[in-house]
Amino acid sequence: MLKFALKNMFVRRARMVLVTLSIVLSASVALLAFNISQQVNDGIISTAGYYDMIIGPAGSSTQLAMNTMFFTDEPLGTISYEYVEELQASGLTNAVVPFTMGDSYNGAKIVGTSPDYLDGKKLKSGDMFNEAFEAVVGSAVAERYGLELGDSMITSHGLTGTGHAHEGNPLTVVGILAKTGTAYDNVIFTACETVWAVHDHEHAEEEHIHEDEDDGHVHEEEDHSTGEADEPMSHAAAHSNVPDTHEEETYDEAAEDHDHSYGDVCAILIKSKSFNDYYKLMEVYGANASLLCINPSTVLREVLEQVDLSTQIVYILCAIILLMNIVVISVITLLNMYDAQKEIALMRLIGISMRRIGQLYLIQNGIIGLISTVLALILSHACLGLMGSFVASMGIVLNVTAIYPLEWAIMALVFVLSVLPTMVRILSMSRKDSLSV
Amino acid sequence: MICIESLRKHFTDESDITYRDLTFEDGKSYVLLGASGCGKSTLLHMISGALSPTSGRILINGKDMAAAPQREKDAFRIAKIGYIFQDFKLIDEMTVQDNIDVLKLEKVDVSRTDELLERMGILKLKKRQVSRLSGGEKQRVAIARALVKQPEIILADEPTGNLNYAIGRKITEALLDAGRGKTLICVTHDERLCELFDEVIDMNKITTPVVKGGEQHA
Repeated sequence: MLKFALKNMFVRRARMVLVTLSIVLSASVALLAFNISQQVNDGIISTAGYYDMIIGPAGSSTQLAMNTMFFTDEPLGTISYEYVEELQASGLTNAVVPFTMGDSYNGAKIVGTSPDYLDGKKLKSGDMFNEAFEAVVGSAVAERYGLELGDSMITSHGLTGTGHAHEGNPLTVVGILAKTGTAYDNVIFTACETVWAVHDHEHAEEEHIHEDEDDGHVHEEEDHSTGEADEPMSHAAAHSNVPDTHEEETYDEAAEDHDHSYGDVCAILIKSKSFNDYYKLMEVYGANASLLCINPSTVLREVLEQVDLSTQIVYILCAIILLMNIVVISVITLLNMYDAQKEIALMRLIGISMRRIGQLYLIQNGIIGLISTVLALILSHACLGLMGSFVASMGIVLNVTAIYPLEWAIMALVFVLSVLPTMVRILSMSRKDSLSV
Repeated sequence: MICIESLRKHFTDESDITYRDLTFEDGKSYVLLGASGCGKSTLLHMISGALSPTSGRILINGKDMAAAPQREKDAFRIAKIGYIFQDFKLIDEMTVQDNIDVLKLEKVDVSRTDELLERMGILKLKKRQVSRLSGGEKQRVAIARALVKQPEIILADEPTGNLNYAIGRKITEALLDAGRGKTLICVTHDERLCELFDEVIDMNKITTPVVKGGEQHA
């Protein structure tokens, strides 16, 4: 039976290939649409899920989450590093990671943090930064600018790469991250101390100029050592009092606003020890009006599910694509069946029972269904791989091998649709005269 | 023995054929002659169970096959009847061998294939694709396929209708030779072939066809 089915399919290979191709294309679109939307959603949530709390200056929770998780947007401002020390000493946390951002290297953002921030990330070469002015660069940055271990980088003020250069404070490349396919590839990581030292040095220079120009006038309102949380813009305010010294420089506004004095960080990423500890921390720090405490998963889920309509639109589109493909596959299978009707009538007239004919077409359509679903899965995941680099810019790694339960369900549905119409038609034909089919 | 009793077939286009009683004895060959539309092919289809009569009985070895359920009719046709069609009913994309091997789906013993193809003079074409055969060769393949399962009854619906007389006669002779000892009922328009059969039945005298609108067929 199988041998004859394969032979029958072989002699009708052009039709079989077209039918299979139609099913594969329809099914793979459905699988791809579902898989990618699911992975993007899961990717964002899981990236955010590593830390259960982020503390930053008061402002937009979405901006805080996106800035610290995916390095997008600009920091809200700064808070004192004392909060980091306080949290580390609280005994309620497993990890407290400072996060500061404000400088860049040819447009690649520089993140001041602790090595803990790169936990789980592999180094392609070199070591983790340990001291000020040491840097670990993302793989894409290293590739783009031909950076190698030991190279020096002159960073510039601000996040756009157009600010004034910190020529006196070059960073040394001590490590290069292995490719992650995420936003980490486009970022340079260094110790917070680097950021503070660069700006401390800059301010020392500025103060020197001020003293020269203002005959010893002292900016008493500047306090670089504390950077109080309720004065996140204190340093920027200080800058505004600086006379024309930097007028010729083109600082971008964000950099101007988020300048760092020693002891300031843009955010603190926290992994609490327990659910209870999380709520205790949320109670204490959430009560401080100058601070913003967020749960990144919650914020990003809200962004995905409620605020960002595009996610809902993607899901609706997926459902529509799925429904359309169900209809398309049913039509293809039915057309194939009607095409085969003549063959079935012929076989019946020469003495083949409908039971055998049914088995024959069940095998044939089963083979087509099986091949189609497998090829659709392969094709959809190949497309997933091709789309990986695009989605990686959002900070999400698409796992080409990830198959969701609903994908199996879609494949099962495609298989059933490949076989069921044939069986229904054969059943209805078997109740009629051989010449009436 | 096949007995036709009070048989009538009404078609959806309102045409209608009524048959007088008729008997076909075992082991004899019959040729049905008659004008187009007089009900020759319809009778073969009803005997084979491929078409159900509107009323009347078709007794085959005493069993009324007209009243049998479709599944039983199919089973009977598969087991006992070899059917040969004017348009061959071959799978064009497959080879001669494959067209006979299709019967293996019904567990038919096809070991006589070579012998039958030899008798039909087409053994050398066994591996050839059917679409590349001539009309006469195709009909020989169809006959070989009908006979390979050693049916009790052979029904041939104008087997030479698409062939010239000389080839048609050869094929009819081959059919009668291979089907010797079986009940053979053959429909033809060609009166010159009648002498080859045991009995000739003029269907114009057996049937009363009524075409659409109630007009009696000539």
